[in-house]
Amino acid sequence: MILPRFEYKKARTIDEAMELYNKYNGDAFYLAGGTDMIPLLKQRLFSPKAVIDIKGIEELNVIRKKGGNLLVGPNVTLYELKENPHIKKYFPCLFESLDATSCETLQMRGTIGGNIMQNTRCLQYNKSLEWRTARGFCYKMGSKECNVVPHAKLCFSNYCGDNAPSLMTVEAKVRLVGPDGIRTIKMERLFSGDGKAPFTVKSGEILKEIVIPLKETKGVYEKLTVRGSIDYPLVGVALTVIGSSARVAVTGIGPLPRLYELKEVNEKTINEIADKAYEDAKPVANAVLTPAYRKKMVRVLIKKAYNRIESGGKR
Amino acid sequence: MKTIKVTLDVNNEKITLQVKPYETLLETLRERLSLTGAKEACSLGSCGSCTVLVNGKPMRSCLILTPEVDGSSITTVEGLKKGDKLHPLQETFMEKGAVQCGFCTSGMLMTAKGLLDRNKKPDKKAIIKTISSNICRCTGYKKIIEAVEEASKRLG
Repeated sequence: MILPRFEYKKARTIDEAMELYNKYNGDAFYLAGGTDMIPLLKQRLFSPKAVIDIKGIEELNVIRKKGGNLLVGPNVTLYELKENPHIKKYFPCLFESLDATSCETLQMRGTIGGNIMQNTRCLQYNKSLEWRTARGFCYKMGSKECNVVPHAKLCFSNYCGDNAPSLMTVEAKVRLVGPDGIRTIKMERLFSGDGKAPFTVKSGEILKEIVIPLKETKGVYEKLTVRGSIDYPLVGVALTVIGSSARVAVTGIGPLPRLYELKEVNEKTINEIADKAYEDAKPVANAVLTPAYRKKMVRVLIKKAYNRIESGGKR
Repeated sequence: MKTIKVTLDVNNEKITLQVKPYETLLETLRERLSLTGAKEACSLGSCGSCTVLVNGKPMRSCLILTPEVDGSSITTVEGLKKGDKLHPLQETFMEKGAVQCGFCTSGMLMTAKGLLDRNKKPDKKAIIKTISSNICRCTGYKKIIEAVEEASKRLG
């Protein structure tokens, strides 16, 4: 498959990257690993004027400890982050979700920032231009109606990131830098809930850092897929227990990962949350498994995750 | 559109090229350098048949722009043998019958090379995990796993 024509620019600093972005009037993409972005370009879902390579920006490439936090640069590859001893020791849930992301070869190229900021997916959207032209464009592509749910003026595409939900459960924040300065927001505030524009990131903003408070946690990540290796989650459940409280995040259904907080964690509260998550999950026929099955699996996976934590995390 | 000058070290040979900004490494290798060992199958990063080593790490060359890897060293399946002697992986792949149609083989070899470079004695589980990133529709993977196990013994 041939890529659309674009210009390639390399940025050495964040300011330089934003300057280039402005130079192309926002018709440019920031490129880190490219494992998610290049296929989107190949399928002509986007054809920007320029691609700005931000891999050369040193400060986006480091993992460091500072003031009780672990600061992770977005250009750190998934594999590098997974191999970091702090991750395995403090955040087993994140370790499992990193391990479950795609395959080792792609983990070595794909970055944590790119994984978080991946676009939402749908069976009617992630297709070649020829396929989409023959079918007729969907709501996310600018048409009036959704192609999956007839007459719906809404996008039901699924957010399929594995690591954003587990980062949400370990109370991570993200630091964004843009033309208006730096702002730090909770991970869950990064998502708009709108499948058409799934992030609350402003035009030109760059993800600068992921801030994770260093606390010892217990956690697991459960993922429903059809292929063992390289697959997006059809449902993903991240569960982290911090002291006596817990946080659960459900991904793979709808345009944002849903977060649930438990003040007290025991079998009763987990069952309550599993029921609530089951009610909240509203899958539609836009993934390879049926919506009814995916909905049921939300409850199953939350209970399974809790049982695994109770038995010491082993599979 | 303006071309970009890149210098690559391909199979221990320094090469300077003028490439298009939207050219993938796979296109450069196959169409400019005639190194057709790396294959294009899915072209979206799911199948692994285009895997080459970039600075020693296995990567999907269909997802990498050539300007991105300016100055890097690239090893393709053509650069695996030393002189006239085949790499132990190539030998064991033939001996164990891990090649049938052969389309996935170069990707499999490079992925396995990447694994053996970072882990000299991988157990069966580690081999399965790494190899699972590549799709083979003929062999059923058993022979490939056996071949990698045997190669790790010979290299050890």
